[in-house]
Amino acid sequence: MGDTEVGTGVRAELRAYIEEAFLYLHPDVQLRDDDQFLELGVIDSLGFVELVEEVQTRYGVAVDALEITEANFGSLDALVAFVERRRPS
Amino acid sequence: MCGIAGIVRADAAEPVAEPALRRMAAALRHRGPDGWGMARAAGAGLVSTRLAIFDVPGGWQPMRGPRGTLLVYNGEVYNHPELRAELGGAFATTSDTEVVHRLLERDGLDALARLNGQFAFAWWEPHARRLTLVRDRFGVRPLHWAGLPGGGIAFASEAKALFASGEASAAPDLAGIDEVFTTWGARAPRTAFAGVAQLPPGGLLVWEDGAIAAQRTWWAPGYDPADGAPTPDDLSALLADAVRLRLRADVPVGTYLSGGLDSSLIAALAQRASDHELRTFSVAFHDARYDERAFQQQVAQALGTRHHVVEVGPREIADGFRAVVAHAETPLIRTAPIPLYLLAQATRAHGITVVATGEGADELFWGYDLFKETALRELHARDPARAETLLDALYPYLDVPAERRGPAWKRFFFEAGASDDPLFSHQPRIAATGIVRAFYRPEVQRVLDGMNGEDPLARLRAELPPAFARWSALERAAYLELTTLLAPNLLSSQGDRVAMAHGVEGRFPFLDHRVFMHSVALPPERKLGPRLREKAELRALAQRLLPRAVVERPKQPYRAPAVVPFFGDHAPGWVAERLEARALEQVGIFDPQRVEGLLRRCRAGKATGFREGMALVGILSTQVWHERFCARAGAAGPDWPAERSEPRVRLDATDGIASQ
Repeated sequence: MGDTEVGTGVRAELRAYIEEAFLYLHPDVQLRDDDQFLELGVIDSLGFVELVEEVQTRYGVAVDALEITEANFGSLDALVAFVERRRPS
Repeated sequence: MCGIAGIVRADAAEPVAEPALRRMAAALRHRGPDGWGMARAAGAGLVSTRLAIFDVPGGWQPMRGPRGTLLVYNGEVYNHPELRAELGGAFATTSDTEVVHRLLERDGLDALARLNGQFAFAWWEPHARRLTLVRDRFGVRPLHWAGLPGGGIAFASEAKALFASGEASAAPDLAGIDEVFTTWGARAPRTAFAGVAQLPPGGLLVWEDGAIAAQRTWWAPGYDPADGAPTPDDLSALLADAVRLRLRADVPVGTYLSGGLDSSLIAALAQRASDHELRTFSVAFHDARYDERAFQQQVAQALGTRHHVVEVGPREIADGFRAVVAHAETPLIRTAPIPLYLLAQATRAHGITVVATGEGADELFWGYDLFKETALRELHARDPARAETLLDALYPYLDVPAERRGPAWKRFFFEAGASDDPLFSHQPRIAATGIVRAFYRPEVQRVLDGMNGEDPLARLRAELPPAFARWSALERAAYLELTTLLAPNLLSSQGDRVAMAHGVEGRFPFLDHRVFMHSVALPPERKLGPRLREKAELRALAQRLLPRAVVERPKQPYRAPAVVPFFGDHAPGWVAERLEARALEQVGIFDPQRVEGLLRRCRAGKATGFREGMALVGILSTQVWHERFCARAGAAGPDWPAERSEPRVRLDATDGIASQ
């Protein structure tokens, strides 16, 4: 599987997860891949916890406390990049 | 234990009609199934419904005192024999009501400090045209009131009697509802109803000749040295006395047994003090995650009590939900009150009308994990590594399973609020509960945003006592637990309302004010001990009285399933009806599109977290609550049923001459 395919698969999965778990509370939002979740208000602080735990469970990625940053988890683009970087090959 | 209600007019010449009083009595008969009474005076009417506990054949209300004042009284003053002896003279009854009444007629409001118990009452002094409403220290007993057009006032144990009177109508108070979805209960004077207030715990209100003359608290919890009272004896003697006083009744007394330390301790002390076989009552859950029956049985066997168990599963929770909302008179955040409603029903069916419980111990002796979490969050600022290690050993009350408490959870937890924020201890709970508010319709949120100073947290901060700043983080947490959770939620929706629904009176030895003062005077480490061991003082006492396994077991928060009862084949039809878009539009508080998203997740079994559980219970209970009360707002009081039976007491002083 090439990088692009991985990216597309992860992106689609994470988008589906975020839409299903969080965006139902924000029916007016059309989430772009680079939208910042916290800035846009679509995920609150505890939602952020759920998101991080979901990424860990779904992709078998161990996340260190210092990695929990907006740079890694703050948007769909950031998430996909983080998972691609960290997912066990 | 009883229900009380009444109407007082600004104009003494304007009568209070008997049918209105009969409707108020009917609305409160569940609180007083043994009979009712009524008094009418010039421009005033009082009613009482009675659950007979002291002086069963006598002791009917309203009572008229030697000085001509009238009293309707709900509750128990446990030290009434001692007060009676001190008062001296002849008494017509052996009830505590008469003792309280005599004391009021002699000492006025100075009498309050002498009362050890749980009570709410209304005292009418006809010559001054003065009505005094009083509520006990911790707010065990409820008391609501509404100002009437023209300057009069109506009051009642439960708001439904105000609506039944025809003097007040039920409409949502968005600010009150918002408070439920912020700190888990509307805090007095606020209620979920517009125009209906409740007396605060330890509060009193004086209405005189058409206007409110005073509104203040006569007691409030505090943590300064002067607020504590170290007792010469250890807690053992004090708590034994608090239990002994609470076994006083002319009917048999039982205890609830959760399987935890507090109720087990009360049962052990009650068994020692009781001269008959103690009856204990427990909730058991089909779902093993919530079930504590093994510990309950262990305690019951060790103490030799006659034990009764009520089994609760999803179906029972769904079936009891609407009745509980009707009794609680507020939207709920959890289903935990329903099993206690069913427990009271079973208790009554076994012929027991008075139960002692362990309520209050976690607030006084810092038993909740919230206290440990507060200590850890404080520690984190100084020693993050140690705080994080200790956090792993906790079972957080927020019901997040261990596998979901990874680094992100820790980060949220340790960063939720600055340590100099007065609400520091409660910020994680407030943040978690905020999900319910995310379901508001945008226009509801706009209305709330526009209410200057009505924001629940702004109001809470503004009303903190000046001494609050002097207290430790854990003392502040305890104060906030007492004032935001205990009275507005645990003693109400989960306490008085669900027990009195079946005419069962709960008694709480830990909420004896002397026990509170003892707890304040204790060194902090006797409450939350080293290595975060909770309730050290109670544990030491329990070691002498209870099986070791019960004393040593980790604390388990009392919870009940939130989502499962309302979905699947067994779910009652009204659930889907109340949650459909049209019903949501009619009530106008929650956004149908957002709610539908939640329902999809519930149906798919994906809403497994505690937050979505709170959201579902919050939304569904609001819908049920609105249908039960506010949808009838257009209906005048006469549509409510009236008490048809003859009153056991009828005092009529409308012509200036009282007759009985």
